Amino acid sequence: MALPLETVTAMYRMMFVSRGFDQRCADLLAQGMQVPHFHSGVGQEALMVGAVAPLRDDDQMLYTHRGYGHLLAKGVPLHEIALDTFMKAGGTNHGFGGVMHVNRLDLGVPGREGVFGTRFGIAVGLGLASQRRRLDQVVLCFYGEAAGARGALYEAMNMAVLWRLPLVFVAENNGWSFSSRTEWLFPEGRMSRVWRGFEIPVLVIDGNDVESVYGEISTAVERARSGQGPSVVEGLTYRLDPHIWWDDAAYQPVEEIDAWRARDPLARTRQRMLEMGATVERIEAIERDARASVADAFGRVGAAIDADWPTADLHR
Amino acid sequence: MNDTTLMTSRQALTGVLADELAASRDTIFLGETVRGLGAAGVASGLYDRFGPEQVIETPVSENAIFGAVLGLAIAGMRPIVEIYSADFLLAVANEVMNDIAKWRHQQTRPEQLAITIRGCMGAHGGLGPEHSQSMEPYLHHAPGLTIVVPGTPADCAGLLRAAIRSNGPVIVLEHRRVYELEGDVPQDPDFVVEIGEAEIVRSGSDMTIVAWGWMRHEAELAADELVRRGISAELIDPRTIRPMDWDAIRHSVGKTGRLLVVEESPITGSVAAEIITRVVEDAGHPFPRVARVVMADVIHPYSAAMEAEILPGADDIVAAATRLCPATDRIETRWTST
Repeated sequence: MALPLETVTAMYRMMFVSRGFDQRCADLLAQGMQVPHFHSGVGQEALMVGAVAPLRDDDQMLYTHRGYGHLLAKGVPLHEIALDTFMKAGGTNHGFGGVMHVNRLDLGVPGREGVFGTRFGIAVGLGLASQRRRLDQVVLCFYGEAAGARGALYEAMNMAVLWRLPLVFVAENNGWSFSSRTEWLFPEGRMSRVWRGFEIPVLVIDGNDVESVYGEISTAVERARSGQGPSVVEGLTYRLDPHIWWDDAAYQPVEEIDAWRARDPLARTRQRMLEMGATVERIEAIERDARASVADAFGRVGAAIDADWPTADLHR
Repeated sequence: MNDTTLMTSRQALTGVLADELAASRDTIFLGETVRGLGAAGVASGLYDRFGPEQVIETPVSENAIFGAVLGLAIAGMRPIVEIYSADFLLAVANEVMNDIAKWRHQQTRPEQLAITIRGCMGAHGGLGPEHSQSMEPYLHHAPGLTIVVPGTPADCAGLLRAAIRSNGPVIVLEHRRVYELEGDVPQDPDFVVEIGEAEIVRSGSDMTIVAWGWMRHEAELAADELVRRGISAELIDPRTIRPMDWDAIRHSVGKTGRLLVVEESPITGSVAAEIITRVVEDAGHPFPRVARVVMADVIHPYSAAMEAEILPGADDIVAAATRLCPATDRIETRWTST
């Protein structure tokens, strides 16, 4: 599927912003500052952005805690993500949820559960609601290795097939679940292998190829929207940064990281844009604009006051 | 409309579910076996009348069911979920306590997360320790949940309707022995019992008894016997466990100076412990005298005969009340209060 250059360009900008935010957070950590609950998504931008980009505004998206490209692609402004990260006023959850619970119901981002796994049931419920209201909304549900091993996914998949729900499950296979290899947790190291038994579309794709992600997810979304039921798309990608700030990631072999750096989704997308006829000047202008957007978000954090929401008894 | 109809609690619950499903297509009833009778007969006839759009028979998949309930509510619908036995709420403690209870506070605060969770609970003749427990002590610790325990047919109707119409998550715990009770239920299609409002079942002056669910009926029997022994007991059924009607209890204990809490639960961590602690903390001198009639820290035996031995009953309440109100003490109190 050949995408128009404008579509690829728009996705590249979001990937670049996502990368810039992660790098800025990593810089702050390196300076000894705190970035609460930050989980870098460096290396996974194509899967995050490419999967969300085909959605309609009123489609629902349930995201993982790693990386912020999902949120950006669904329309959440970067500065709101940043304000939530640093528990500032003006974010989406007033210091009660931080970056782990960014939500914008009006943008189809209802929020995130605290213990991996509930989101699969939530996806079923959102799908049931869409079905009953004849809204033809689709629910895109990302999950990583941890959530993907929870029982609720197996229950939800059965319901999704049973009721032909408009769901698309996106497995983010980034090679690692904290310090455990995906191979240690799933047969053949594939998070989607088990779903073949449901006789629904189950695809394993190159998660670092943003055009491929966009194309395959589009197909799954249209299938769901037209009432044909759920699909599973497993994107193969790689976590280039450590799990979290206190993790030295010594368990990740340097050669392995280097091999995946050579497949960096940003560099690949940039190259594709050149092949499609974009000029270097145009690309650099987009990159400058994206950097400015990151700088603006952190500027707003610096100027913001701390979140201070009532913490009184929840009953009156 | 003050007209009432004589019916069982089960009929009252089914009637309210039917009324509320008929009132809005956004109201959805789901759970295991609800296409038939449901766990306790309450679902009877609802699927036939409302069909699969509003009455959803689910696989036995509690985690996904309760996640789906949250998803439906996030989408603005008003799900009512039946848990097959309230004990199974422990299988979805994560969804109930970590997700549903916290959701509105941890995410942007939507005004509406209209979830009703209902199911049967309580000991009823040897169902064993995983199908007999009173679940309110497990649940009442979690900020963000509302818990009601109706003890009469009218309260079943009024509290279930209030729960369904509430814009927050409410858990309705129905004691198995309450289903067969008959009583007058208001015909008013908008009849509700306010959540958080206790009922003074009977007035008294010597002591306050707090009891709910099936224990309310044991306490009423006990109160009759206490009258014969010269003890005037005020009986309060809080009906809502969280938020508790502290004002009603404090006011009563302020008058009687003695508090007995009756609960069909093991003593450690009981709701009774919380009630007594709050009353004592807030009381001035002289402190009220307090006691509990609860279960020991035991599990329910499958043997119905053995189970009967561990459950609190009217005799236990009479004995505890008599200890709390010795005859000499009552005379002294009357002197000092006049």
